[in-house]
Amino acid sequence: MVREFELPDVGEGVAEGEIVGWLVEVGDAVEEDQPVAEVETDKAVVEVPSPVNGTVKEIHADAGELVPVGTVIITFAEAGDETGGQDPAETRTDTATETRSEVGAVESKDDGASDDGSGSASNGRVFAAPSARRLARELDVDIGTVDGSGPGGRVSDTDVRAAAESEDSEPVADEPTADDPAPKSAVERVGSDDGTSSEPAVTTGSANRERTLAAPATRRLAEESGVDIDSIPTEEERDGEAFVTPAAVEAFAESQRAAQDADRAALAESGGEERVPYRGVRRTIGEQMARSKATAPHVTHHDEVDVTELVETRSELKAEAEERGIGLSYMPFVMKACVAALRAFPSMNAMLDEEAEEIVEKHYYNIGVATATDAGLMVPVVRNADDRNLLELASEMNELVGKARERSISREEMQGGTFTITNVGAIGGEYATPIINVPEVAILALGAIKEKPRVVDGEIVPRHVMTLSLSIDHRVIDGAVAAQFTNRVMKYLENPQLLLLE
Amino acid sequence: MVVGDVTTGTELLIIGAGPGGYVAAIRAGQLGIDTTLVEKDAYGGTCLNHGCIPSKALISATDVAHDAREAEAMGIHADPAVDLAGMVDWKDEVVDQLTGGVEQLCKANDVNLVEGRAEFADENTVRVAHSGDGQGSESIEFEHAIVATGSRPVEVPNFEFDGEHVISSRDALALDSVPDSLVVVGAGYIGMELATVFAKLGTDVTVVEMLDDILPPYEDDVSKVVRDRAEDLGIDFFFGEAASDWEESGDGITVRTENEDGDVSEFGAEKVLVAVGRAPVTDTLNLDAVGLETDEDGFLATDDRARTDVESIFAVGDVAGEPMLAHKGMKEGEVAAEIVADEPSALDYQSVPAAVFTDPEIGTVGMTEEEAEEAGFSPVVGKFPMASSGRALTLGDTDGFTRVVADDDAGFILGAQVVAPEASELVAEFGLAIEMGATLEDVAATIHTHPTLGETVMEAVENAQGKAIHTLNR
Repeated sequence: MVREFELPDVGEGVAEGEIVGWLVEVGDAVEEDQPVAEVETDKAVVEVPSPVNGTVKEIHADAGELVPVGTVIITFAEAGDETGGQDPAETRTDTATETRSEVGAVESKDDGASDDGSGSASNGRVFAAPSARRLARELDVDIGTVDGSGPGGRVSDTDVRAAAESEDSEPVADEPTADDPAPKSAVERVGSDDGTSSEPAVTTGSANRERTLAAPATRRLAEESGVDIDSIPTEEERDGEAFVTPAAVEAFAESQRAAQDADRAALAESGGEERVPYRGVRRTIGEQMARSKATAPHVTHHDEVDVTELVETRSELKAEAEERGIGLSYMPFVMKACVAALRAFPSMNAMLDEEAEEIVEKHYYNIGVATATDAGLMVPVVRNADDRNLLELASEMNELVGKARERSISREEMQGGTFTITNVGAIGGEYATPIINVPEVAILALGAIKEKPRVVDGEIVPRHVMTLSLSIDHRVIDGAVAAQFTNRVMKYLENPQLLLLE
Repeated sequence: MVVGDVTTGTELLIIGAGPGGYVAAIRAGQLGIDTTLVEKDAYGGTCLNHGCIPSKALISATDVAHDAREAEAMGIHADPAVDLAGMVDWKDEVVDQLTGGVEQLCKANDVNLVEGRAEFADENTVRVAHSGDGQGSESIEFEHAIVATGSRPVEVPNFEFDGEHVISSRDALALDSVPDSLVVVGAGYIGMELATVFAKLGTDVTVVEMLDDILPPYEDDVSKVVRDRAEDLGIDFFFGEAASDWEESGDGITVRTENEDGDVSEFGAEKVLVAVGRAPVTDTLNLDAVGLETDEDGFLATDDRARTDVESIFAVGDVAGEPMLAHKGMKEGEVAAEIVADEPSALDYQSVPAAVFTDPEIGTVGMTEEEAEEAGFSPVVGKFPMASSGRALTLGDTDGFTRVVADDDAGFILGAQVVAPEASELVAEFGLAIEMGATLEDVAATIHTHPTLGETVMEAVENAQGKAIHTLNR
C-alpha cells in the first residue's frame, strides 16, 4: 500500500505552510508518529509526523516551498508492501493520460467543432457542459487543451478560467470575442478570411513594433508577465502583420526573468542587495502590524520611572529564585504592576467588539510578553497572571519565551492575550511607539534601565531609571486614562513592596 | 439588372424560412441585426408544412383511433369511425397555427419578410423572383447571407411524383381519403412512419425495400421491435427489392420490383408512396455567382461556425449536410446568426438526438456500443426492458427497451438507444447527460418520478452499473 500524505491543517484557519525542512529522505524507514518535516505556519513551527510505518517513497515539496493545506507533500510505502507499490498519484496520472490520449484519438462523429481542423486535442472528445464550452469560446481557450478537474477529467468553468489565465491557452485567432472589445479590434479577423480587417499594415519584424496582433488571452498573459507585447520578438505573421503567440510571450518573459535574475545575482555578489522571501512568521507579523495600525488609532504616552528600589529588590530576590531554579528578570514585576493597574482601569484590559458595537472589559488577565526570536517577534501569553506570584509568573514566562525562541510554541500559547508588554530596552533605546496587539487596546513598552542623574532631597544623585511607552487604542481609551494607568504602574515599580499587597 | 428591379439592402439575408432559416432570423433580430428573410412557399418550411408537424399530427390522430380499437384488454370496446378529410383539416389547423406563429415571431423581432425565390447574383446580392406572373423581382444587397433552403423528396427513376398514383410524403400527408392499399417504396424513417399511419387507418400496406431490413441506420434489436409491431399491424415487408417501374392496372396500379438476381415481383395497390430519402435544395440558388460548389450529394460544406467557403455566406439545416433534422438546423441557424453578430458562438454539440415516430417510437442520441468501441472507449452498456416498467404496463405498451452506452473507465454517458412509447421524449434526458458530461453515477443518483417511463432511464443506467433494482443485472 502506498500512502499519500497531505499537508494537514496544522492550526486554526491556517491555509498554507512553509516547508522549513525535511527530517527524512527518500528511502528512509519511518515509524508512525515519527516527525518527517518541519512546517512553519503563522507563528509556529510544527513537526509533521508520519501517519504510517514504512519507507519514504517520494518527497513532493522542497524546503522553503510554500504549500497549501491539503497538498500531497510526501508519499510513503507502508510497511509490509514489499514491492513498494506504485505511487497512486502516478497511477492516477497514467490512467488519466491514457484515457485522455485514447479519447484524443477519437474522431467525434457528431461534433461539428471537431471538423475545423484547428488541431491539438480539439479533435478528441472533451467532456464539458455547454456553458463551459461557451465560456471557453468567450475566453479564447481551446477546450481541448484544458485539463478537467471534474470526475473522469470533466472540464468545468473553473478549469476553463484557469486555463485562460495560464500559458497553456492557445489563441483561437479566427473567433472574435464579443466580451473583450478593446483587444478585439486588433485581433478580430486575424487569420480569418472575412476580409474585414482594414487597419493599415505596420512594419513588423523588429522587437519594437508599433502594432502587434495577438489574441486577447495572449495580451492578458503578456500583461500578467509584465512584458510589452510590442517588444516580443516573433517571426509569425498574420495578414502581413506581426503575430505573437502565448509561447512567444512565455519565452520572452522567461528570458526577461533570467536577465533580471542574472542582474540580481550579480548585484548580490557585489554586496548590493539580497532578497529574502516575505513569508511565514515575518509575513504574519507584518500583516498583523498593518492591521493594527490601520484599525486602531494609536496614541503613545511616555514617561520615566525611578526603579532604583526595584533594582535592589530584584537583586535580593534573584538569588533566592535561582536557588529554586528560576531565573527572575524584571518582567514578572512589571507584569504584576500592570495587572494591578489593569484592575484599577478596566478599560485598559478590554477589546472593541466592532460588530456588536460593544467594549468588552475582561475580568481575566492574560499578559502577552513580546519576544524577539530569530524568525521575528512572537508574543507568548501568560494566562491568569493575576492568580500567580512572582516566581510562578517568572517560571511560566521563561518557559513560554524559551519555546518561542526555539519556535516550538503552539498557536494556542500565543492566543487569548488581554494586554501586552514589550521590552524594547533589552537591546537599547529609550522610547518607542509599540504597536497594539489587536484586538487588545493597549501595549506597554519598557525602555532600558539606565543610571541617570535625579534630584533626590535637593541633591543630584544617580538613580536607576526606566522609560515607559504606552500605546493605546484611542477609540477606547483617552489620554487621561493612559496617563493615570501609567502613573499606577509607576507607583508599583517605584515601590515594589506595594506588590506584596497585590 | 432586369428593368424594374428595385434594389434594397440588408445586413443579413436569409434564404428559406424553415427551422434553420426562421430561427436564424429571429435570433439575428434579437441581436439587433437588420435581417431579411426570403421564403418562396410557406413559413416554417418542410418541417412545419410537409414534414415533422403534419406527420406527427396524423400519427397522433391515427393512434387515438387505433388505440381505441385495440383497448379491449383494458375493458374498452370501441370502433371509432375515421374521417380522413376531417383529420387532415385538424392537422392543417395545427400547421396554420404554427406557421402563423413563426411569421408573427419574425415580425415581432423586426425581421423583414419577403416572399419569392431567391438566387445569388453575386457575393453581395440576391435576386428575388416573386411568384406569379407580373409580380416582378427585386434585388437585395447583403453583408451576410444564410442559405437555409432545406431539402426535397428524392424521386426514383420511373416514379415521378404525380400526386395521384405516385405520391411523395408531402402528398401522403394531404390525402383526403384513406387508400385501400398502398405500396411504400423505402423502409427508412419516413416510409415506416407513414406505413404505420396508413396501416392503422386500415390501409393494406406493403413495404418494398432495397436493403435487407427496415430503418438501416439503427441497430438490429432496435429495428426488430418496430418491424415486429409493424407486422402485427399487417404490414408486409419485401426486402432486397428495388422498385423498377409501375403501370396503371384497373382501379389502381401495379408496382414492379427487381431483386439482385434480376427476378421481378409485382405488387398491386391503389397508390405507391415513394419515400427513399431527401436531397438538399441547392440547385436553385445560382451558387456559381458566388463561387460556391456543392459536394456530389448537393450539400454545402460548412465549418463549425456554419460558414461556407465564402466568408460572408453561411449554410444551415438540410443544405449543410446530414443529419437532415430540424433541430440540427435550428441550432445551426442560431450559431450562424450569433457569428454574424460577432458573438462567441460555435457548433460544438456533442450529439444530435434523433427520433422516429413509428410504433413504438425510436429515440437515439450519441454513440452505439459499436461506435463507442470504434471511437476508442471501453463501452459498458445498460439496458432496461419496457416489459419491466410499471408505467409501460399501465400503458399496455411493453415492447422495446431503454439502453445506455457509457465509458466504463470514467462513467461518462456516450449514447442511448430507446425504442419505447415516448422514446422521442425519453432520449432528451440522455442528450442532456451527454452534453453535461454526466456520468452513470450522476443519472443513477437522480431520483426519477414513479411511475413513469423516465424510470427506465435510471434503471438502464443502474443496470450498466450492475445495480438495477427492477431487472436482472447482466
